[in-house]
Amino acid sequence: MMLLSDLYLWLSYSHVSTPKINKITEKLSPSQLWDTFDDETRYALDEKTYNMLKRTRNVEFIERAKFYLETNNIKYITRADPLFPESLAQKEVNPPSVLYYKGDITLLREPCIAVVGTRRASQYGKYVTQKIVSELAGTFTIVSGMATGIDGFAHRAALEVGGKTVAVLGSGLFNASPSSNLRLFDEICQKGLVLSEYTPDTHASEYTFPQRNRLISGLSKGVLVVEAAAKSGSLITADCALEQGRDVFAVPGDIDKPRSQGTNQLIKNGGVPVTCAEDIFDYYNVSGKKKSEQKTIALDFAEQRVMDVLEQGEKSFDGLVECCGMTVPELNTALSALLIYGLIHEKSKNLYCVS
Amino acid sequence: MLAKINSYALNGLEGYGVTVEVDIHAGIPNFDVVGLPDTAIKESRERVRSAVKNSGYDFSPRRITVNLAPAYTKKEGPTFDLAIALGILVSTEQAGMDENNKPLPSIRDYVFLGELSLSGEVTRINGVMPMLIAAREHGVKKIVIPKANSNEAKYICGIDVYAVGTLRDAVSLINGETREPIEKSDVVLGGIGRACEDLKFVKGQFAAKRALEIAAAGGHNILMIGSPGGGKTMLAKCLPGILPDLTEQEALETTKIHSVAGILDAERGIVTSRPFRSPHHTTSRVALTGGGSSAKPGEISFSHNGVLFLDELPEYPRSVLEILRQPLEDGVVTVSRAARSVEYPANFMLVASMNPCPCGYYGSTTHTCSCSPSQIQKYMSRISGPLLDRIDLHIEVDEVNYDDLTKDVQTESSAQVKARVNAARAIQTTRYAGTGVYSNAKMTSEMIKKYCALDAAGEKILQAAFDRLGMSARAYTRILKVARTIADLDGQERILSRHVAEAVMYRSLDKAVK
Repeated sequence: MMLLSDLYLWLSYSHVSTPKINKITEKLSPSQLWDTFDDETRYALDEKTYNMLKRTRNVEFIERAKFYLETNNIKYITRADPLFPESLAQKEVNPPSVLYYKGDITLLREPCIAVVGTRRASQYGKYVTQKIVSELAGTFTIVSGMATGIDGFAHRAALEVGGKTVAVLGSGLFNASPSSNLRLFDEICQKGLVLSEYTPDTHASEYTFPQRNRLISGLSKGVLVVEAAAKSGSLITADCALEQGRDVFAVPGDIDKPRSQGTNQLIKNGGVPVTCAEDIFDYYNVSGKKKSEQKTIALDFAEQRVMDVLEQGEKSFDGLVECCGMTVPELNTALSALLIYGLIHEKSKNLYCVS
Repeated sequence: MLAKINSYALNGLEGYGVTVEVDIHAGIPNFDVVGLPDTAIKESRERVRSAVKNSGYDFSPRRITVNLAPAYTKKEGPTFDLAIALGILVSTEQAGMDENNKPLPSIRDYVFLGELSLSGEVTRINGVMPMLIAAREHGVKKIVIPKANSNEAKYICGIDVYAVGTLRDAVSLINGETREPIEKSDVVLGGIGRACEDLKFVKGQFAAKRALEIAAAGGHNILMIGSPGGGKTMLAKCLPGILPDLTEQEALETTKIHSVAGILDAERGIVTSRPFRSPHHTTSRVALTGGGSSAKPGEISFSHNGVLFLDELPEYPRSVLEILRQPLEDGVVTVSRAARSVEYPANFMLVASMNPCPCGYYGSTTHTCSCSPSQIQKYMSRISGPLLDRIDLHIEVDEVNYDDLTKDVQTESSAQVKARVNAARAIQTTRYAGTGVYSNAKMTSEMIKKYCALDAAGEKILQAAFDRLGMSARAYTRILKVARTIADLDGQERILSRHVAEAVMYRSLDKAVK
């Protein structure tokens, strides 16, 4: 008789797909699978699966896999493990038999919120992600997919405010993509958690990403979609969330922008519109950690004037020149100081607003 | 009989004396030029033959050998036509003889420069200014140049320059006719080099205009980023109107290069305003740095003490952009070819413009950008870090909307801005007198330490900017230099915290990297 965790590792490493594994483990007991592996097992499986399992069914195979993981410093957790997140064990999630990970697995015990969106994020999308995530990250662990665009911005924003973040990959840990986010990958390994249901050498394919999305939603209490086109992968994540009984939040956008059509559609279909982090805090009835009280900074006359104008709404540089009645050097100096104090920020190029 | 006539040639910007020796003797009629001549000189045989005949002199078939000494340097161009023709006339005793048919010794005092046309006219040549300067340094007292080049000679004192229009003119000069040398005049600088836009017609864009003012005042390299139609090119075209006036020293340096390249304005004879060069993005590397078998100067040297404007920066091949790095740092470019190695000054201010992404609308409020993140990254990465490193000011140029265009707001004219720029540059000229540095942008590390000391408040702001805005270390000295210029514009001896704060605003790419 072997350990249950080794059994799951064997199933994962035999490259039988997760839904099939789940079917098999429902039908057959561990001993039927491993110890006897007789005709009855054979009847329960299809030909291909039977052959795949038969070929890999030996102790040496499992030991080799374990040794490989250990030497490459990759940890794993199986369904048999008490640490395995309960949220994923749910049937609708189609639980993976093994999660391979780097980083701190205990993060999954904290309440998580997924933040996802298009890879082709606009500057506005970037800004919204940073704004909302930097507040959310104090209370929730931020889960996302480490893709370019919104995913990456969400991870970065969480790390920047010292929050916790979890990246769920659509490939094995050795094949993390895109290459532009590899530095982010290393940083999350250090300060957060990167996990994947695929064995480390697996390459990403067009099937693995949608599969991965169910884990992103599965791990989380709710999914926040920031920017998504009408046919975005983020909508798959939202669908998964609904199937799994998670909440779906969406940031509304212009009705004529392609990148807002997905999110607006979600709201029409009953998603919760979100315009600030408080919306989510209120929904869950938790109180967001207040940002450390701003020290009152003594502003000089020019800075105060700029603040007064900006408090009435965002303004471009040229607009500020007209409204504040200052010379350009004076205005530049004031803006620079306010930016450094963190009282205002540049929303997009040359467009300023109060933080 | 053997005749020796003095002439001058150029190696890069350095002139050196060439003796044209003409020997005529009996034998099979032939006309040969030796002493490493190029094709233009070999062809001068035909021009000289016709010019001599058509000026009414005798050119009977004889065996003529012309030697250009020193024989080991390559000579080029039609500069020696006049000297060769005179040599032939002297050795055939048709010129330079006194009443008793004895050769006049005075011919050895002159240096002759000039190309001949078939009719015997002396026509314009390139590189007169550097040759005059070299000749003066070598102790030459009298020099003969084409009349068409006489404007260039007006500003070089300490040498008598005679302008001749025809070969007969030159002959009468060496025959002893007394003649007045060209009158010298003072260098008159200022004015705007070429038709350009005026800042008062630029609507809005206050931040960009201010950045241009700072760039012009301190000679800083500047990069403008913005969507199409924002007016980047128009802003750049305003730049000649606000650049500070040239100093006499700078004017002569630039004129030398323009004279060698033959792009000097014949009317003015000297470069009176800062050059503004905008090579197209199909420009080759050699055209930019200089080169070719004769190691000619390129665009970066033409824009010495002026502006090199590269519109649509990422469209230039990367290899072309990378070669700018060393000249940007050193202010000179050394062009080495098999035949020669020449150093040209290339102390220019780089002004560049680019779109934020391939489609141009990333971050635009009016258009939707259709580029993928990897496309944008690829586009930005066409400009290497080391090159960006050398650009002091980055600014975002907004799109202009209809309201801005129709609004009738009085803004400053180029002349008003130029007055401030001139004042700031004057402070710099005094500060760096005698160091070979003319502007804040070219400060050495030692000077930065000396002139860019910050007070406690300034330090604090800079520290905070680095922490808060995620500035990179490379930005540090750039900010200091720009702050120095802002302080100069403000007329302040010391850099104050408000100058630092403003300087921080012009590092938008550093902020974006975050």
